[in-house]
Amino acid sequence: MTTIGIIANPASGKDIRRLVSHATVIDNNEKVNIIERVILGAQTFGVKKIYVMPDSFMMGFKVMEKLELSGELNVEIEILDMKIKASPKDTQVAATMLEEMQVGCIVVLGGDGTHRLVAKAINKVPLIGISTGTNNAYPKMLEGTVAGMAAAAAATNAIDYETFCERDKIIEVSKNGELVDIALMDVVISDEIYIGAKAIWNLETIKHVIVSNCHPASIGFSAILGANIKIEETDDFGAALKINSGTNHFLAPIAAGSIVRVTSEEVQRINLGESFTLEPDYKGMIALDGEREVSFVKGDLLSFKILRNGPRHVVVNRILESALENGFFQR
Amino acid sequence: MKLSNEKILSMYDTMLKIRKFEEKAMGLFAEGEIPGFVHLYLGEEAVATGACATLEADDFITSTHRGHGHIIAKGGDMNFMMAELYGKETGYCKGKGGSMHIADRSKGILGANGIVGAGHNIAAGAGLSVKHRGTDQVVLCFFGDGSTNQSTFHEALNLSSIWKLPVVFICENNGYGISMSQERHQAIKDIADRAVAYNIPGVTVDGNDVFAVYEAVNEATKRARKNQGPTLVECKTYRHRGHFEGDPTMYRTDEELQEWLEKDPVKRMEKFMLENGILGQEDLDSKTAAIDEVIATAVKFAQDSPKPSLESAVENVYSDIVEEVKVR
Repeated sequence: MTTIGIIANPASGKDIRRLVSHATVIDNNEKVNIIERVILGAQTFGVKKIYVMPDSFMMGFKVMEKLELSGELNVEIEILDMKIKASPKDTQVAATMLEEMQVGCIVVLGGDGTHRLVAKAINKVPLIGISTGTNNAYPKMLEGTVAGMAAAAAATNAIDYETFCERDKIIEVSKNGELVDIALMDVVISDEIYIGAKAIWNLETIKHVIVSNCHPASIGFSAILGANIKIEETDDFGAALKINSGTNHFLAPIAAGSIVRVTSEEVQRINLGESFTLEPDYKGMIALDGEREVSFVKGDLLSFKILRNGPRHVVVNRILESALENGFFQR
Repeated sequence: MKLSNEKILSMYDTMLKIRKFEEKAMGLFAEGEIPGFVHLYLGEEAVATGACATLEADDFITSTHRGHGHIIAKGGDMNFMMAELYGKETGYCKGKGGSMHIADRSKGILGANGIVGAGHNIAAGAGLSVKHRGTDQVVLCFFGDGSTNQSTFHEALNLSSIWKLPVVFICENNGYGISMSQERHQAIKDIADRAVAYNIPGVTVDGNDVFAVYEAVNEATKRARKNQGPTLVECKTYRHRGHFEGDPTMYRTDEELQEWLEKDPVKRMEKFMLENGILGQEDLDSKTAAIDEVIATAVKFAQDSPKPSLESAVENVYSDIVEEVKVR
């Protein structure tokens, strides 16, 4: 049976960056609408069963009810049987379940942080990310209907989706030789000492930025590198930059509507498989994909390795172009 | 955002004072020492503490029926608070208001309030006053999730948004309106979502993390002081006790309570300070002992204070009380 999974983070798009930048609020009713369109897109193109992560806003149930009432539901929807913690753990648990079930594709609604959690749990199942977060470098602004169609193309094996998936790079974060976490897009080293509101925004406290990918069209902290160098998904390297130090001055969009002047040293390239190491003489926090997550103390040895063993993401345009050539739309 | 050790210690002091005051009130109520009702703030200490730590002395707050924490965090006098709980003449309301009506205009505390949702428009009114007077004061309006279904919430957000009033609306979402769980009383989970309808920013933070609350409210008060208008900050938290003392809490599970006890904001703060070398265990113990003493002094002050006289029953009730009532 052709199946896909949907993970929608009810907490994405609501953090403090609504106050410290001009970030958009994406409320949960809008996420319900997006899920609805993903389902309609996917069922039309052959998906028979869709698993949805349960959440405190009951998005999956709401979509089911809505589509049943309108008589448009032609696919079996199953809410994953898991206990809701209303915490980031929910995303990881759901992603692990969907990976174990080997669904054909997972559609994720969230920001970089949500996708990082999914990336920690999946390896084989391909991923389509829809941005409902804040400074999103990893997931794209994508119409739900199209995401559903692309997920169907991937899941039905109508297309050789291996050709249309890219294996993502990740940044492995180690402390004193022990792997502690990963990031998908960027790592920020700050001398703030608490997690607080999680999101990181205060440039003055930031010492280093490390990225797996960056582009001048990025937003968020990877944009600090993106204002200096372009690193594509397919490039076998990442980079690090020491900021608030040096003689390199430039402007970078570090948050929605917030373009700031940054001073840095020179960009340091990090090849695939290589590590960038630091031994800070201060205590602080490591932010992973925009969220403060890992604390360290003075003298800890921090290591950041770029690897290509992240999730496989579906390149939506490419898979649908191929679908076109293969008569996917001729039904 | 960086905070000095002094600021962190000050916030911890406030949290611990609230914790100890409430624990004492809980015991005294159980012993029959305190009349009326008490609605304890145990478990929610990080919200009032983090929020009020962003304020200046001349800023305002409005509070709720669960108000002890807000009042302590804004600098309320615990002697007068305890005396009020005891119904004594030296209390904040001369013993006639009880737990749910404590106010102190000299400290910008515009009152706890026994009516759910009554604080929203008082806060908006205070915000309007600030705007007319042209000062840079702000108003923090504390309220619970249940009150966001009241018309007052919507009226206050609407007017505050239109007039760009310097009000920060702080929802203490503890998951229950009395015994009614949030999912049974509203079709949203994040109350911050309601900000969109009034074209103001809305953010959700971990209300059991004093730093998360401080960061969000600090940014919101900065906006307010710059005439950028109101903000809705939702703090997800949990009350360790029932709605009121004596509530058997049949509507929630022990497992749920246990999960939240593990996220106890005071313990989290203590762990943070110990791990970061801000305080040692001995310092922590001596701080606790010092605050225990302050609370014991408040209790003694209350116990030693006189009860209000019978004649005073009609004093300070109506501003224009008629002569015949005085005679009666």
